[in-house]
Amino acid sequence: MPRIAYAFPDEVLEHVFSFIHSDQDRNAISLVCKSWYEIERWCRRSIFVGNCYAVSPVMVVKRFPKLRSISLKGKPHFADFNLVPEDWGGYACPWIEAMASAYPWLEEIRLKRMVLTDESLELISKSFKNFQVLVLSSCEGFSTDGLAAIAANCRNLRELDLRESEVEDLSGHWLSQFPDSFTSLVSLNISCLGSEVSTCALERLLAGCPNLQSLRLNRAVPLEKLVNLLGRSPNLVELGTGAYTSEMQPDVFSDLSRAFVGCKQLKSLSGFWDAMPYYLPAVYPISSRLTSLNLSYATTESPYLVKLVSECRNLQRLWVMDYIEDSGLEALAVSCKDLRELRVFPSDPFGLEPNVALTERGLVSVSEGCPELQSVLYFCRQMSNAALVTIARNRPNMTRFRLCIIEPRKPDYLTLQPLDAGFGAIVEHCKNLRRLSLSGLLTDRVFEYIGSYGKKLEMLSVAFAGDSDLGLHYVLSGCDNLRKLEVRDCPFGDKALLANAAKLETMRSLWMSSCNVSFGACKLLGQKMPRLNVEVIIDERGPPDSMPESCLVEKLYIYRTVAGPRMDMPGFVWRMEGDSALRVS
Amino acid sequence: MSEAAMAVVKPEMKSYIWVQTVDGSLQQVEEEVAMFCPMICQERLQTGMGSSKNYAISLPQRVNPAIFGLILDYCRFHQAPGRSNKERKTFDEKFIRMDTKKLCELTSAADSLQLKPLVDLTSRALARIIEGKTPEEIREAFHLPDDLTEEEKLEPLRNMTDDPRIRLLNRLYARKRKELKERQKLKNVVVEEERVDDRSVDDLLSFINSVDGDTKGTKTSKNKKKNRRRKDHIKDPSSINTNENFNKGLNALPPLCHNGVANNVSEASTSNHLRMQNLATVSFSSKHEFVDGGDDDDLDPAMKEELDREVEDFARRLNSDWPERMQEILSLGQERRLVPISVNGNCSTQIYTGLDRR
Repeated sequence: MPRIAYAFPDEVLEHVFSFIHSDQDRNAISLVCKSWYEIERWCRRSIFVGNCYAVSPVMVVKRFPKLRSISLKGKPHFADFNLVPEDWGGYACPWIEAMASAYPWLEEIRLKRMVLTDESLELISKSFKNFQVLVLSSCEGFSTDGLAAIAANCRNLRELDLRESEVEDLSGHWLSQFPDSFTSLVSLNISCLGSEVSTCALERLLAGCPNLQSLRLNRAVPLEKLVNLLGRSPNLVELGTGAYTSEMQPDVFSDLSRAFVGCKQLKSLSGFWDAMPYYLPAVYPISSRLTSLNLSYATTESPYLVKLVSECRNLQRLWVMDYIEDSGLEALAVSCKDLRELRVFPSDPFGLEPNVALTERGLVSVSEGCPELQSVLYFCRQMSNAALVTIARNRPNMTRFRLCIIEPRKPDYLTLQPLDAGFGAIVEHCKNLRRLSLSGLLTDRVFEYIGSYGKKLEMLSVAFAGDSDLGLHYVLSGCDNLRKLEVRDCPFGDKALLANAAKLETMRSLWMSSCNVSFGACKLLGQKMPRLNVEVIIDERGPPDSMPESCLVEKLYIYRTVAGPRMDMPGFVWRMEGDSALRVS
Repeated sequence: MSEAAMAVVKPEMKSYIWVQTVDGSLQQVEEEVAMFCPMICQERLQTGMGSSKNYAISLPQRVNPAIFGLILDYCRFHQAPGRSNKERKTFDEKFIRMDTKKLCELTSAADSLQLKPLVDLTSRALARIIEGKTPEEIREAFHLPDDLTEEEKLEPLRNMTDDPRIRLLNRLYARKRKELKERQKLKNVVVEEERVDDRSVDDLLSFINSVDGDTKGTKTSKNKKKNRRRKDHIKDPSSINTNENFNKGLNALPPLCHNGVANNVSEASTSNHLRMQNLATVSFSSKHEFVDGGDDDDLDPAMKEELDREVEDFARRLNSDWPERMQEILSLGQERRLVPISVNGNCSTQIYTGLDRR
């Protein structure tokens, strides 16, 4: 029944839209009707592209003429575990080039798992007059020369964040490229750089930038220098120390303590490379201020660790090595009632025997004691269904749960049963669970639970689990909000994939490696679903045409796209299309 | 006192001005309140209008009497001196509570009167209404037409050109290309037809059934079992109509023709697109034997019971989508039956005549 729309001039509607920022809401607006689509696209300022191959830069530039901020993601998540070969793709260059000519007023670029060259960095530094934010997360392909261009030319730079990127370190002198007149820096993260940076240049930079709030140094900055640097940036909120080691010198210790205290806004600490146990207590005076503590690089045991953690009563986020052990986590549960995120990393993941007393009990204590706990990443060597059920009942507000039992296919250590019931309880009780990683011995049953209860689940990671296609089928047919699924070493095959082909167009991507999917199925899928790119990664250099249909695919990456086949596939990636694999070079 | 004087100066010594709304009606409003609106203020100061009935200030078209009343309430409150920020905030929060239609009118009216604070207030309120809603819900709330095509909705990023002629042309070209491709392939496909396994759904169903206690699972014996199960399944009354027509229909045609037909239908009516996708998932065959992971060994009875239940469940779930899909498949199935197995160049024409018969 057609009704007359409320009369509304475009400028007024645009003004209303200016108060709406989330990507989801902006996307919803653009799908309401033709006029809203038009108005929305002209006033969109910020865009997030979760898969850089889902759409082409030309299309984005054409549709959104006034962007100021763009975020792009490239390689699949499993690239972090070395499952994606070198030169797979994720090149930022075409995007940078397209934006350089289209968006002279672009302010922010955020890239994750992409390949970026020095030329692109130089182009960025020269094309955008008001460039302010550059975040390169797990990126690669560039060197400190590119960074030098950014430092030299971006007069209004506020944020330069290189988190976990691989940078070819040609020299530490790029920092000196910031002109003397440069004052706008608010956040600097160079923690991933390998070689020394000029401390002089750092000191000069810090002196010139009074608004600096976040500073993450790299390992090469020694502890003694840290004191000076802290003296120059009293407004720091976040600090990543360099190497946290030195011969025990009482001066250094007390200077350091004093320097920490001097930064009255300091709330977040990270770094602590090679932390010498006896320097940890230098943090005690400010422990009650801390809301975030990352000790995952403090790879030596310390008798002061537990005490430190218990003193941080306002801690919201803790990343720590498993040296904290069950007893430390119990202490954490007693002291840190505001804890929201816990990550426990393994100190000896390849050892056959446990080297620390960290079991499922630690996690259970935290789940009991910390009512705000929402996000968990936990590496351990044993787990039980009972523990998981308890955790689930304790923390129904959990949104991210990633459990990594180090040995694949390990059953409940008490009953020797699969951990289906335990993870089932997690998805059943945690109704807002958005991200889940499974481990341990699991049958198809756990996937049935996930499909039934995991209605808000957006990302699922599976390894060495399941018995048959039913497992995959449950997930694909049941998880309404599933966006990313990554699977390795599971007996999932053609049937479930083909029966749920339509589902794949509602997801961002699917990764399957070492499963039971055949070439024939991939070709069929590619043929029937033109809006998916079905990419097969093979070890041999020959075309998949020569492979028999029933031959199994080693690595498969399927993602929805409106940009068609990608033009930059390396020799080992083939897009499946009909009766022959397509190669577009 | 003269009438004119009385009209302007009331006993309380407040001064009033005359305004006229778009419907022609005239009213007097307190001057200091009305002048809070920049548009009225400007008009009054620049042209001197508003001092009498005959020279009333004409309000913009978007301002009707009821809405103007609301705006005056807002102005009356905010122009009064001595209000604290907290008081203003509380007033605003209460003021904003009204239905969406009125809120839209108010925003629009405030904008035409250039009353920025009220525009911001109402715009924020509208933004809050929009946030968190699906496109459909937003359309409901604002009574907006659903005029994006299915194609545009599914591929919002692709809709680059707004020219409908270009879009139509693209579609026609795509269709033509596909037709030519089909005709080409049909010539080559006769031999392959035999190998086509159209029992994709059946395949799944029989796989499910074969999980049930088939402990001596070798490939060949499974095949035999599959065939047997299929007949059993067809005998099942609940599925008899759907399965039979489905099987007959699909068996009559090589899969590439499915594609051709499916695509043609989808071109014709893009609202069927989603259903076409479902069709695609059901109709394309798994040409491959399902490879069991050898997990049927020595099931104990309890486990077996569990598996039976799972299997039933799976089958039920698979069947539950069918009524909708079946409509499509049935109608297409009828067309397909028209196409002979021995293919000739006229195949495609017959497909089109089949469409007509629907």
